[in-house]
Amino acid sequence: MFPQVRGRLRLYFTYEPERQVTILRASEQEPPLRVVRAFPRVDGSALLHLHNLSGGVLGGDQLALDIELGPGARAQLTTTSATRVYRCRDASPPARQTCRVRVGAGGVLEYLPDQLIPFAGSRYQQSTRIELAQDAGLFWWETIAPGRLARGECFAYDLLQSDLTILAAGCPVACECFKLESGHASMASVARLGAFRYHTSFFICRVGLPAASWLQLEQSLGELAQQQSRPGEIVWGVSALVAHGLLVRAASTRGYDIAPGLLAFWKAAKRALYDEDAVSPRKVY
Amino acid sequence: MRKNAHAFLQLLQLADSALPIGTAAHSFGLETLVAEQWLEVENLERFLGAYMAEAGMLECIFCLLGQHLGAYLEESTLEAALERWLQLNARLSAFKTARESREASAALGRRLLQLALGLEVHPCLADFVRTAKIAGQATHHSVAFGLLGGLLQIDETEAALAYLQQSLTGLVSACQRLLPLGQSRASQMLWHLHSTVLTTVERSKAAATDDEISCFTALVDLGSMLHPAQATRLFIS
Repeated sequence: MFPQVRGRLRLYFTYEPERQVTILRASEQEPPLRVVRAFPRVDGSALLHLHNLSGGVLGGDQLALDIELGPGARAQLTTTSATRVYRCRDASPPARQTCRVRVGAGGVLEYLPDQLIPFAGSRYQQSTRIELAQDAGLFWWETIAPGRLARGECFAYDLLQSDLTILAAGCPVACECFKLESGHASMASVARLGAFRYHTSFFICRVGLPAASWLQLEQSLGELAQQQSRPGEIVWGVSALVAHGLLVRAASTRGYDIAPGLLAFWKAAKRALYDEDAVSPRKVY
Repeated sequence: MRKNAHAFLQLLQLADSALPIGTAAHSFGLETLVAEQWLEVENLERFLGAYMAEAGMLECIFCLLGQHLGAYLEESTLEAALERWLQLNARLSAFKTARESREASAALGRRLLQLALGLEVHPCLADFVRTAKIAGQATHHSVAFGLLGGLLQIDETEAALAYLQQSLTGLVSACQRLLPLGQSRASQMLWHLHSTVLTTVERSKAAATDDEISCFTALVDLGSMLHPAQATRLFIS
């Protein structure tokens, strides 16, 4: 038996209308998950850096994130570096992370992490459920690397399973569930990633906007997608979800091409949806 | 003669690629894959095998879940079945993040149900159609096909096999218009892929029971997302 780490992080943000700021009202932290403090931003939102003191996710880790934004609260969460998922020992169960997110009415969550890098031999499962109330907003991206390409690792993980559901006012608007296993049919199939190695999904939501607004945004971001795409290197696409949001997706041969594109889409969407600048955390993506 | 020969005939008709529901107008993103030169005749069979294992399995699971709704329908359970019908379609809409493919699936489902209403498949079918219309809920092809199979008391495996075979035939037909793919080669591909279809149905049955849905078709989704911007288009999706 291997010792299992049971990390837990619970964050609860509230909005103070008198001061027009979001504050981190409560946080429960069990290692290796940790936040140091919430930094106030000029727009009144709170910025938090998510840390994993282990330096990555180890085989058998059981991690739980619970993030709640009260009505009107605005928070930006990011990581301090890529999330490395380490090789699992043979007898070790898969590492697992569950993430539950609730954004109250009028709140906005921006979740802008660095990429996830599943090492060769790693086994990792993550489950994310995001509940958005009326007029809640969401900017949520996730980029997945094929492994440590510089070490010759490419899709050499044993298991990578992800299950993400976004609900808007109680109705499912996006589900993205996949299970990629070693011995699984080739990732190089055109049905999966073809010649590309990295992929990213960027969900942009604001509950309550009519379908026509999303079609309009799909068109304008679609033009940005064409500008950002380079044949044989990176391809971007945009599509309106069934309601209340849209998805920006990319497949790329190189990891470092993705972050600039994500920032461009984020800025354009933030301007279109909130008429505000998207201010990125002070870090290098 | 087989015991359920009549139901078998009905299944053959509903799964016929010539059924007038508009299947031939959609490529579900394949047109872009061909235009970008990612998909060619040489890798088409491998592509279709992988496509079946991912997108095919997703649709097959929802077809099976739709079949269960119809197969076990009783007067006392109609209300619950109608609620479940809405949930299934809403959930599949959420899985279909590429708008064009989602709308294509909904258009085919709507036309299939309208056609089936005219065929008087089952007295309760009108309730399913009406409930979705009132709720403003799209009805997807796979769920609708499964429901009809269940209402006709067609076995779940047979219904799922017929659905997947019809889908595969539709994709190959689309590729015949997009690629230099002849009739003989297309028939060979379909023939070779029978084992993939069988495997997909078996895996889907297990996944439907455990509610373990998985689908990774990033490039196909991108194909669908990029399709509206294609300079020339043969297909609606």
